[in-house]
Amino acid sequence: MINHHPKIELLIQYVNGELPASISAGIKIHADLCPKCNNQIIELTKHAAETSFAQEDTLVGIGSEVLSLKGDEPEYNFDAQSMINNITDMPAETELKVDDTPVSITLRGVEYELPNVMKHMSLGKPAQIGKLSRSRILLDEGHIHSSLLRIEAGGSIPEHTHNGYEITLLLEGSFKDDMGEYVAGDFIVLDGKHQHQPMSELGCLCYTVVSDSLHFTQGINKLLNPIGSFIY
Amino acid sequence: MQVVQSSLSNKITGHIISSMHSPIENTDICLWLNAVATSRDKSAFTQLFHFFAPKILNISKSKLSNKTLANEVVQETMSNVWKKAHLFDESKGAPTTWIYTIMRNVTFDILRKLQSNKEDNLSDDIWPMVEMAEVDDEPFSDHLEQKQILSVIDKLPQNQQEVIKGFYFMEMSQEQLAQHLDLPVGTVKSRLRLALIKLRGLLGVNND
Repeated sequence: MINHHPKIELLIQYVNGELPASISAGIKIHADLCPKCNNQIIELTKHAAETSFAQEDTLVGIGSEVLSLKGDEPEYNFDAQSMINNITDMPAETELKVDDTPVSITLRGVEYELPNVMKHMSLGKPAQIGKLSRSRILLDEGHIHSSLLRIEAGGSIPEHTHNGYEITLLLEGSFKDDMGEYVAGDFIVLDGKHQHQPMSELGCLCYTVVSDSLHFTQGINKLLNPIGSFIY
Repeated sequence: MQVVQSSLSNKITGHIISSMHSPIENTDICLWLNAVATSRDKSAFTQLFHFFAPKILNISKSKLSNKTLANEVVQETMSNVWKKAHLFDESKGAPTTWIYTIMRNVTFDILRKLQSNKEDNLSDDIWPMVEMAEVDDEPFSDHLEQKQILSVIDKLPQNQQEVIKGFYFMEMSQEQLAQHLDLPVGTVKSRLRLALIKLRGLLGVNND
C-alpha cells in the first residue's frame, strides 16, 4: 500500500503549474497510482479554476490595460477582433492523438516499461557503478537533475544526507531504509534533515529528482564522492 | 479524536452552502462551447473570448510579467478552446475547469521554453486533457464538502491555513504537524484552535 504522498502545498503548486517539469511528472506518476491524491488534484483544479475565473468585478482597475466588463466589450491591449478572426479561421482538431505505445528502458538486461508521462522525455545513456544503474532524464532544469535509478537485488546506496532535496518515486520493486519499507507509487521527499541508507533486497527502479549533490556521512563512504555525483 | 474531527467537519458543511460566493454561469459557457463544437459558431466563440480572455490576460501577466507572452497565452488558450471544443465533456467536469486546464498547460509550456529552452510541450503528458474524470473509489471522502470548505479556508491567515489543511485534509496528528512545520506542539494546538474559532465565524456556526 502506498504510504507516502506529496504534501498538499506541493499538490496546489502542481495544479497551478508552478513546479518544474521533473517534479510535476513525479506527482503525475504518483497520482496515477494513488486515487486519493488523484481526486484531491481534481478538486484542487476545480477550486483553482473557480478562483481564477470567478465572476467578480474586482477585475476593474487591476490591470492597466484591462478595464474589464464596464461596457459590453472589454478592453484589451491588443486587437481582440483580429485575434478572434484569426482563431476562428483555424480548422477544428478532429482527431485525438493518443499515443498508447509504451516506452521502455533496458538497464542491465532488464526491460522496464516507463510511465506515460515520460513519453516525450529523452533519456541519457545508462551508466553503472556496482549494483546501481542510472539513466539521466534530459530535462535541462539547471541544478535540478532527474534520473531513472535502478538498484539491483541486494544493492544499496551508502548512508547519505542532502544539501537540497531528493524526491524519489518508486516505479517498480521495493526498497527500505531506517524509516521503513517503500512500495511502487510511494512519493518520498528527503532533505537535509534526513539521513538514510536505502537498500533493496529484490531490486527496484526509481524516478529521482535531486536538487543538489549528495553528502556521504560515514567515514569510509566519504571516499564515495563518485557515487554522490552519479546519483545526483 | 477521530469522532470529534468528523462531527466538526459535519458542522462545517452543514452551514457552508449559504456562505459560498456566487457561482459562475457554467450553463452559458456550456451552451457557447457546444455551439462552437457542433456548428463552429463564431458569435458563441466571441462570447467565450470576452468572458475568458480578460481574465486569462490578467492571470498570465502576473505569472509571466511580460505583456507579449501574456498575449501569447491568451491567443494559444483561446485557439485550443476553438480547436478542441468538441472534446469538452460536460459530464466530466465544469467548463471553467476545462479552460483552466488549457490555460495552465499553455502557460507551463511557455515558461518551460523560457527557462529551459525546451520546446518539448510536456504539459499534455503531465496533465492530459483526455483524462479529467474523477475516480469514485472512496466512499468515505466527500469531495463536495472538501471543495466548499477549501474556499472558506482560503480566507484564513496563512499560518492557520497550514495547520487546518494538514490536520483535516492530510489527516496528520498535531505532533506530526509540529514536526513537519518545525513548531512546538503548543503553537500548533493554539493555531488550530484560533483557526477553528475563525472558521466558525466565517461559516456562521453558532455555539452548540
